[in-house]
Amino acid sequence: MTSLSRKGRTRKGNWPLEAAMIVLAVLFFIPIYYLIVTTFKSPEQATLHPLSFPSSFGFAHYRDAWHAMDYPKVLGNTAIVAVSSVVGIILFSSMAAYSLARREHAVNRVIFFFFLAGMMVPFQMGLVSLFKLINSLGIMDTLLAVICVNIGGGVVLAIFLFKSFIETSVPLELEEAAFIDGASVQRTFWLIAFPLLTPVTATVAILSTLNVWNDFLNPLLFLQSRDNSLILLEVYRNIGQFSVDWTSLFPMLLLGVAPLMIFYLVMQKYIIKGVAAGALKG
Amino acid sequence: MRQLKAIWLALPVLALAVTGCGSNGNNGNSNAAASPDTSASASPSAPSGEKVKIRMAYWNKETTVQSLLDLIKQKLPNIEIEYQFIENAQYDNIIGTQLAAGSGPDIISVGPPAATQYNKLGYLADLSSLADRFSDAGTSVYSVDGKLVALPGISWFEGIYYNKEIFAKYGLKPPKTFEEELQLHEDLKKNGVKPQAMGAKSFEPMMKSSMGLIMNEFLSQSANKDFDAKYGKGETTLEGNWNAGLEKWSELIKRGYLTNDMLGIDYDQALDEFATGKAAMWESGPWALEAIKQKNPNIQLDMFPFYGSAEGPGWLIGGPGVGFAANAHSKNADAVMQVLDLIATPEGQKAFWENNQGGSSYLKGVSFDMPAEFDGVKETFQAGNVYAPWNNWGGSASSIIEDYGKALQELLGGKSDVSSVLKTTDKTTARLLQLNK
Amino acid sequence: MNRTAREFQYGLFLIPAFLFYVLFCVYPFATMFYYSLTDYSIAKQTGLHFVGFRNFSEIAHYDLLLAGIKNSLIYAVLMTVFQTALGILLAVALDKKLKTRNVLRSVFFLPAVFSPLVIGFLWNYLLSTSDAGLINRALTSIGLDKVNFLGDSDLALYAVVFTQLWQWTGWAMVIFLANLQSISKDYYEAAAIDGATSSQQFWRITLPLLQPSVSVVSVTAMIGGLKVFDIVMSLTGGGPGNATQTIMTAYIKTSFDEGFYSFGAAYGVVFFGAVLVLTMLLMQLLKKWGGSNR
Repeated sequence: MTSLSRKGRTRKGNWPLEAAMIVLAVLFFIPIYYLIVTTFKSPEQATLHPLSFPSSFGFAHYRDAWHAMDYPKVLGNTAIVAVSSVVGIILFSSMAAYSLARREHAVNRVIFFFFLAGMMVPFQMGLVSLFKLINSLGIMDTLLAVICVNIGGGVVLAIFLFKSFIETSVPLELEEAAFIDGASVQRTFWLIAFPLLTPVTATVAILSTLNVWNDFLNPLLFLQSRDNSLILLEVYRNIGQFSVDWTSLFPMLLLGVAPLMIFYLVMQKYIIKGVAAGALKG
Repeated sequence: MRQLKAIWLALPVLALAVTGCGSNGNNGNSNAAASPDTSASASPSAPSGEKVKIRMAYWNKETTVQSLLDLIKQKLPNIEIEYQFIENAQYDNIIGTQLAAGSGPDIISVGPPAATQYNKLGYLADLSSLADRFSDAGTSVYSVDGKLVALPGISWFEGIYYNKEIFAKYGLKPPKTFEEELQLHEDLKKNGVKPQAMGAKSFEPMMKSSMGLIMNEFLSQSANKDFDAKYGKGETTLEGNWNAGLEKWSELIKRGYLTNDMLGIDYDQALDEFATGKAAMWESGPWALEAIKQKNPNIQLDMFPFYGSAEGPGWLIGGPGVGFAANAHSKNADAVMQVLDLIATPEGQKAFWENNQGGSSYLKGVSFDMPAEFDGVKETFQAGNVYAPWNNWGGSASSIIEDYGKALQELLGGKSDVSSVLKTTDKTTARLLQLNK
Repeated sequence: MNRTAREFQYGLFLIPAFLFYVLFCVYPFATMFYYSLTDYSIAKQTGLHFVGFRNFSEIAHYDLLLAGIKNSLIYAVLMTVFQTALGILLAVALDKKLKTRNVLRSVFFLPAVFSPLVIGFLWNYLLSTSDAGLINRALTSIGLDKVNFLGDSDLALYAVVFTQLWQWTGWAMVIFLANLQSISKDYYEAAAIDGATSSQQFWRITLPLLQPSVSVVSVTAMIGGLKVFDIVMSLTGGGPGNATQTIMTAYIKTSFDEGFYSFGAAYGVVFFGAVLVLTMLLMQLLKKWGGSNR
C-alpha cells in the first residue's frame, strides 16, 4: 500500500459522499425552506401545495408583521443588547481565562471550578432573587438589566473555551520574553496573547451572539415597556394575534430570525478561515 | 481580526441609523379592528402634554380587548396603555415574580384565586369606591373582607359550537341528552365527517368537557351541593364520587370520537378545523367567535350546552371572568383609577363586551343582547346553569385542574384508567393542601 | 517588574468577570440554598421560618418531579451521545475536499441560529396531525398512517430530541471542524506511509485528537440537556400528561405556578447536586480517555 493508491481511492470515494451530503442537506433545509415559502402564500395555497415555490411574491404579510412588531425599533434594541453583551463577555472572559491559565495555583484552580460550576447552575432557580436584585439596582425595564444578566451568565462558557484554548494553543515563550523586557501583564495580554486568541474569540462571539439574541426568558422578565422591547418579545406578543391565519405568523417568525441568519451567513466564511489560520499558527 | 472589529463597530451605528429613521410608528394600520374614528380624534402626535404610560397585562390577546383599548385611547388621550400579552401558561409565573419584586404591571388581570392571594400579600389597591356600580354577583368573587380588589369583567362560558350547515346537510339536530350526543357523533362519523375538533394538546378541553357531564350527572344533585367546597378543603375525594360520570364521559374516547391524534392538536389548529368545516363541532366559548368568523365569514354556527342522561336545560362551564385589579405600588395611581373608572361605565363595559360577545356584564343596569350564535344555550342561561366546579376548590385550584386535565390526556393516550385519573387528581389536591398548611 | 506586582495584575484580570458572575449568577442562586430550608412561598414572603430538610423529603413523593428527573436524564443522554456522534460524522465528512462543503456547512449550522421559541412554533406545525403537519402529510401521501409525534406519550420526548438534534448537530459540527483543522496533516501523511487505511486513521488519529472538542460538546450537551426548558415549553408544554416534563419545567411549575418557592428551591438544590456529580463523572471519563490516548 502506498500513499498514491490511498489518494486515488479517496478521490473516487468523494463523489458518493458529496451526493449523500447534498441529499442530507436538502432534507435538513426543508423546514427552513417551508418557513420561507409559506410566508408568501395564502392559507389555501399553503395547504394545497405546501412545498411548491410561491407563484407570486406578496409582501403584505411582511408589511403587517413589520408594523405590528415595530421592527426597526426592536431590531435596534436587540442589536444594542447583543453587541454590548458579547463585547463584555469577550473582554471579561478572555482576561479572566488568561489569568487562570497562566497562574495555575490552588486559589485559581478553585476560582476556575467556581466559574465552571456556573455551567451547571440552572439560573432560573434564582429567578425570584435575581428579579429583586435588578429591581433594587434600579435597572428594571432597561436594556442594561438584560445586558448585565447576559454577561454574568455568558462569561462561564466563554472562560471555559478561552482557557482551554490558551492552554493548548498560545505559546508561553513570547510572553516570557515580554516580561523579561519589563512589560506589564496588561500590555502582554493585549499586545501578545489576545491577538492570538482570534479563532476562539470568533467562536465565543458566535456562540454568545446566538445565546444572547435567542434568550427569551430574561427579557420577558426584565423588560416590560414596549420602548425597550426586543425582537423575540414582539414575536411572542404578536403570535397569538396572528395565529388565526398561520401563514401570517410565518413572516413574523422569519423576521424574528432574519438578522441573525444574515449575520451568520456573512460571518461564517470568516470563522472557518480564522479558525484554520489560528490552527496553523498554533 | 480587522474585519471582525469593523463589523462590531458597524453594528451599533447601524442600529442607531435604523432606529433613527423609523421608530415613530405606532402600529396603527396593523389591525383590521382599529376603528376609523379613534385615529382621527387621537392622533399620536397630538400635542396634549406629557403622556402617562400605564402597563396592563392580560393572558388574552390584544384583539380580545381591542375596542376597550380604543375607547381608552379616545376618552383619555393623556394616558397610553401598554398592553402586555403573556401566555396563559406563563402568566401567573411572570406576574407573581414581578409583584414579588415590588414591580409588575399597573393594571393586573386576575382570576378569583390570584386576586385573593395577591390581596393577602398587599399587592392590590382598594377599588371599593367603584363597588356600588356592580351587582353583588360580580363583586362577591372579587371582594376580600368587604374590600373590592378587582373589577369584575364580562362573564365567560364554554359550550359546544356546531356547524349548522353540516348538521342540516345530514339532517341532524343538536342533542338533548348525552346519549343523543354520542349518537350524533356516530352519525357524523358514519357520514365521513369528523364529529368534533379538539385541541387536546392543552389540558383544558377534556377537563372542561368531562366536568360538563359531571355537573349534569353529579354536582347538580342536591345531595352534592357542597361537594366542591368540601373538596377544596380536602374533606372528600373525586375517587368514589366522580367515577360513574367520568366512566360515562369516557365513552367519547372508547367509541373513537375523541382520538389519540387530538393530543397533537392545539387550540389554534382545532379552531382552524372547525372554522373551515373539517369538523362539525368544537367545544369553546365566546372569545373564539371573532376568530372563527375572521377565518370563515360565511360559517353558520350555534351552540349547545353539556347534557346529562336526563333531558333538561343542560349546563355550561363558566364563571365570573377576568377581574381588573390595580397595582398598589403603581407610580401612576391616579391614571390607573381613571382607566378603571372608565371600564366601570356602561360605555366601558360595552367596549369590552364588543370583543367578548356572549358574556354578560356585572355592571348594574347594563345588559347586552346575546348574539344569535348562542341561541341554543338561551335556555341554559335562563336556568342559571353556568358553573365551574374549581372556582370553589380554593387557591390551588388552577394546579389541580391542570393535573386532572393532564391525567385525562393519559387516559386518551391509553395509559391510564378512570380510577387512576381521579386518584392522581386527589393526590395533587392532598399534596397542595398539605404544603399550604 | 517585581513578582508580587505581577501576581496582583493577574489577579485584577479576574475581577470584571468575577463581579458580573457573582452578582447576577451566584448570588441569586446562593440565596436559593437558604430558601430551600425555609417555608418561603408566594403566600409567605416575610418572617420566614427554618423548616430543616422538610422540603427535601417531599420531593420523593411527588410524581411530577420524579417524571421530570427521568425525562431530563433520557433527554440529556440522548442529546449528548447523538449530538457528539452525528456532529463528528458531519465534521469529518465536511472536512473532506468536497466542492460544496462551504454551502453544506452553512446549511447544517443554520438551524442553530433559530431561537427555541421559533423552533418550537415551526416544528409544532411540521409535526402536528393537522393539515399544516408537513411530515404527516408526507407520510400519508406515501400510504403510511399518521404518526402523532407530539401527542403520543411514548413518542413526544423523542420528537423533542429529534427537533433539537436537527437544531444543534450543526453547532457541534462547527466546533469539531475547528478542532479537526487544528490537527496537523503530518500525522495523516505519516500514517499513510505506514499503510493505515482511512478508517484506521479516523480511529487512531482523528478521534483521539478530537478529545478537546468532544469534551466541550459532550459536557455542554449534557448540562444543556439536563437544563432543557424553552423548547419543551413551546413544543409540548410538558405534555401529554407528564410525558415531556423535564427538571426545569417541573421546577418552574412547582415554584411559580404553585408558588412554593422553598419547595422548588429544594428541588433545584438536588438538581444542582446531581448535575455536578454527573458532570464530574463525565469529565473524569473524558480525561481518562484523553490520558489513555497519549
